[in-house]
Amino acid sequence: MARPNFWTLVSIFTWALLILLLFIPVGSVLFSSLYDRAGNFSLANYATFFSEPRFFTAFVNTLVVGAGGLFGALLLGSIMAFCISRFHIAGGRVVSLLAILALVSPPFIGAYSWIVLFGAGGLVRGMLRDVGVTMPPIYGLSGILIVFSLKFYPYVYLLVLGALANVNRSLEEAAEGLGLTPLQRTLQISFPLVFPALSAGGLLALIHAIADFGTPRLLGRGYSTLATEAYAAYSAEVGSNMSMGTTISVILIAVSMIFVLLQRYMSRRNVYHGNLINKPVKIRLRGWRNVLAHVAVYTISLCGAMPVIVSVIYSFRRTSGPVFQDGFALQSYERIIFNLGDVVRNSLTFSATSVLLIVVVGTLIGTLVARRTTISTSLLDGAFMIPYVMPGIVIGIAYIAAFNTGPIVLTGTASIIVLSIFIRRLPYTVRTTASALRQISPSMEEAAVSLGYSPFRAFLRITVPLIVPGIIAGGMLSFVTAINELSSSLVLYVGSTMTMPVRIYLLILDGDFGVAAALATILLAISGLAVYIAFRFIGRNEQALL
Amino acid sequence: MSYLTVQNAIKRFGNFAALNDVSIVVEKGEFFTLLGPSGCGKTTLLRSIAGFTDLTSGTITLDNTNLRAVPPHRRDIGMVFQDYAIFPHLSVFDNVAFGLKPRKVPAAEIKTRVMQALAAVRLESMAERLPAAMSGGQQQRIGLARAMVINPRLLLMDEPLSNLDAKLRIELREEIRDIQKQVDIATIYVTHDQEEALAISDRICVMSAGRIEQIGTPQEIYGDPQTRFVAGFVGTLNALEAGSATEGLLTRLGLSSGAGLTWAVRPENIGLAGTGMTGEQLAGTVKKFTYLGREAHLEVETPVGSLVVHVANPSRSEILAPGAATTVVVPRESLMAFDAEGQRTEAEA
Repeated sequence: MARPNFWTLVSIFTWALLILLLFIPVGSVLFSSLYDRAGNFSLANYATFFSEPRFFTAFVNTLVVGAGGLFGALLLGSIMAFCISRFHIAGGRVVSLLAILALVSPPFIGAYSWIVLFGAGGLVRGMLRDVGVTMPPIYGLSGILIVFSLKFYPYVYLLVLGALANVNRSLEEAAEGLGLTPLQRTLQISFPLVFPALSAGGLLALIHAIADFGTPRLLGRGYSTLATEAYAAYSAEVGSNMSMGTTISVILIAVSMIFVLLQRYMSRRNVYHGNLINKPVKIRLRGWRNVLAHVAVYTISLCGAMPVIVSVIYSFRRTSGPVFQDGFALQSYERIIFNLGDVVRNSLTFSATSVLLIVVVGTLIGTLVARRTTISTSLLDGAFMIPYVMPGIVIGIAYIAAFNTGPIVLTGTASIIVLSIFIRRLPYTVRTTASALRQISPSMEEAAVSLGYSPFRAFLRITVPLIVPGIIAGGMLSFVTAINELSSSLVLYVGSTMTMPVRIYLLILDGDFGVAAALATILLAISGLAVYIAFRFIGRNEQALL
Repeated sequence: MSYLTVQNAIKRFGNFAALNDVSIVVEKGEFFTLLGPSGCGKTTLLRSIAGFTDLTSGTITLDNTNLRAVPPHRRDIGMVFQDYAIFPHLSVFDNVAFGLKPRKVPAAEIKTRVMQALAAVRLESMAERLPAAMSGGQQQRIGLARAMVINPRLLLMDEPLSNLDAKLRIELREEIRDIQKQVDIATIYVTHDQEEALAISDRICVMSAGRIEQIGTPQEIYGDPQTRFVAGFVGTLNALEAGSATEGLLTRLGLSSGAGLTWAVRPENIGLAGTGMTGEQLAGTVKKFTYLGREAHLEVETPVGSLVVHVANPSRSEILAPGAATTVVVPRESLMAFDAEGQRTEAEA
C-alpha cells in the first residue's frame, strides 16, 4: 500500500512548508510587534499606533481608499458587465482585451501614467490649459481613487459578467409575467443572483486597494496609508523601526481579514445553481441609448488601459537623459539592453522558479485537499486563506523578521524573493487544482481501475491528463502575478536581486520615465504572452485571471 | 458450485446498514438484476463486487476464488457506469483499447478486438472521433464496448440507461440483452426501473432497505410477488380497504378474511362488467378516465375503496365521463393476501 504513505508524506510536507514559510514569518511579525527594543513583552507599539495621530490618519486613510476603490470598482465594473452582457456592443472582444490589459499592468505604472497626463506638468492638463480650462492636478486622494477604480474594475466586471451570463432568462421572464417592472425585476431577481459575484469582485478590489503600496506612494503626495507607513517604518534611513513596521503589518492583516470574513458572511447562503436552458439574449439598442452604452463601455475600458497605452507610446519616445525630446527612437530599449539585462533576467528566473515550485507543490497539495477529506485537509484549506489576505508589503516585512537572524538566514538572497512569491500564489493553484479534481467524476478513475489499472496508474493516465491544461494555464497566470509583484520584492531586494517592477518603481522615483516605460512595456509583453498561452490551454477565460 | 456467490454480506456506514445480511448466487451466462428504490443497497452490493467498496463482513467468491482478497484492478470485472465515465481526452478507439493495454495484448490483436467490439455496438465508423460531442446513447455504447472487450469474468452495470431518454432506453436495453446473450457473460445489472428489469433479466433480485425481498424470474416477481413490497414496487397495486364491504366481497368469493391480513389486487386482473371477465361484481362511480390508446386507465370509487382498473383496447364508445355509474368485476384468483409482516399468504377458506 504505497499510496496512503505517499499522501501522508505530502501532508507532512505541506504542514512543514506552511509552518516554515507562513506561520513562522507571521508569528515573527506578531512577536516583534509585541516586544519592545529591550526585548520585554509590551503593548507599547499598539499604544503608540493608536495614540499617534499620524498612524491613526493612515488607518482612516486606508479604510477610505479601500472603500473608495471598492465603490469605484463596483460602479465601473457593474456598468461594464451590464452593458456587455445585455446589449450588443460593437467590438466586444476589444473591450475585454482592454480589461485584461488593465488587469495585468502593475498598478504603480497606472499611477505614473496618470501623472504624465494629468499631473502638475501633465500633457492633457497642459492642452486643456491652452484652451482655457484649468483643472487641479491629479495628486492626493482623488487621484488614488480614480486610479484604483480604473485599475480594479476588471475584478468586478469579469466576475459579474460571468454571473449575469448564467442568469436564466426564464427567471426574468417569470418575474415579468408576475407583473414586476423592469426596475423591480433587476433589484429583486437579477441583483440577488449576481450578488455573490458582485461581493467577491468588490472584495478583491478592496483587498488590493488596501494592500497597494505603489499608487499612494507615487500619487498620494503625503496621503499615507498603512501600507506606505509600514514601508516607511521599515525602510527609514535613520532609525528604522522594525517593531512599528510589524505592528502596522498586524493591523493591516487584521483589516483585510475582517473584510474577507464579512464578505463570506454576506454571501454565505447565496450559492445558486440555475439551469441554463434559456440563456440570456443581448438586446440591440437604438438611438441615443445605443450611443450612451457604447460611450460608457469604451470610456471605462480605454481609461482603464490608458496607463498601458501611455507606457507603450512613451517607451518609444526619443530621450536625452531622462528628458523626453520630440520624435521616436529605441534609446530606452538600448539602455535596458546595456544596463538592465540582469534585472530582466532576475525577474524571469525568479518568476519561472517560483511558478515551477507553485505548479508542482500546488498540484500535489490540491490533490490532497480534493481527494483526502480529513480534518487535516480542511485545516489546510483554512490555512491557505492566510496568504490570500496578506498584503505584499506585510509578507516582505514578515520574511525579513523571520529570516534575518536565527537558524535560517535568507535575507539578501534570491531564495527569499522566490519563496515570498511562492507562498503568496500557492493558494490559487491549490484551489484551482482542487476544484478541477472535484469536477472529474470519480467513476472515471474507477472505470480505469476496473479495466486493470492500479489506482495510482489510473490517476496518472486519466486524471492527470484531464487537469494538466488547467494546471499549465494556472501556472501561466501565476507567472503574470509573479513577474508583476512589487511590494514584497521592494522590501526583500538587494542590489543583485533587483526585479523589473522594483527597477521601474525606482526609475519613476528618479524621474527616468523613458526607461521605466520601456521596462514596463517589456513586462507587459511577457505578461501578455503568458496570458495568451494560458488561454490557448483553457480557452478564452478572463475570469481565470482573478 | 455456483459461479458468483455473495454470502451474508453486511455493509455499515456508521450506524446505517446499507447491506443487511444479503446473499445471492449468480450462474454463468445469467443476466441478474438488482432492483429497488434508491438507498436500498443495490449499488452498494454492486460496488462491493467490483471492489470499490469493501464489505463490513461477508464473503464474495467468483469461480471459487475469494474476491475480497483481490484488489479491484486485478478482479477482471467489466463495469458500465451510470454517468458513462468515458475518458474525454481519448478517441473512441483508445477508450475501448484502454483496458487491453495493461493486459499486454499485441497491437494487431488490439485493433481487431476493438473494431469487433465497436461493430457490436454499431460504432465502428466513429472509432477516430473524440467522445465529448457524442450523444449519451453513443457514449454508453462506448462504455459497453470498453467493458466487454477485455472479456471480463463478470459484467457489472450500474443504472446504465437512467440518463437516457425513454425511447433510447428501450432500444439500448434490447441491444444490451442481445450482446449479453451472444457473449454469454454473467451480468449483474442495477436499476430502479421495474419495467426495464422485467424486460431484460433472467432473474431479478428485489431489494429494500438493505435486505432482499424476493429473488425470481420476471414472471415470478410480477405474477407471484412474495411480499407486499415487491407487489407494490413491481407494477401497480390496489389495496382493499378493511371493512364490512371487503369482508362481504371475500365471503362471496369464498375467501377467509383472516385476522391481520390485508388484501390487494392488480389493476389489469380486474375489469368492467360486459368485457367478458367473470367474478364478483362491485357497483362504482368513475372518478377519472385516462385514455392511453391501446389501453385505458380508470379510477373507480367502490365500496371496497378506490380501485384502478386497466382496460385493454378500449373502443371509442366505451369512454366514460367522471361521475358515470359502472360495475367492476373482481375474479377470485386475482386477489392477493399479505400478513402483518407484509409476507404473502395463501389464505383461502
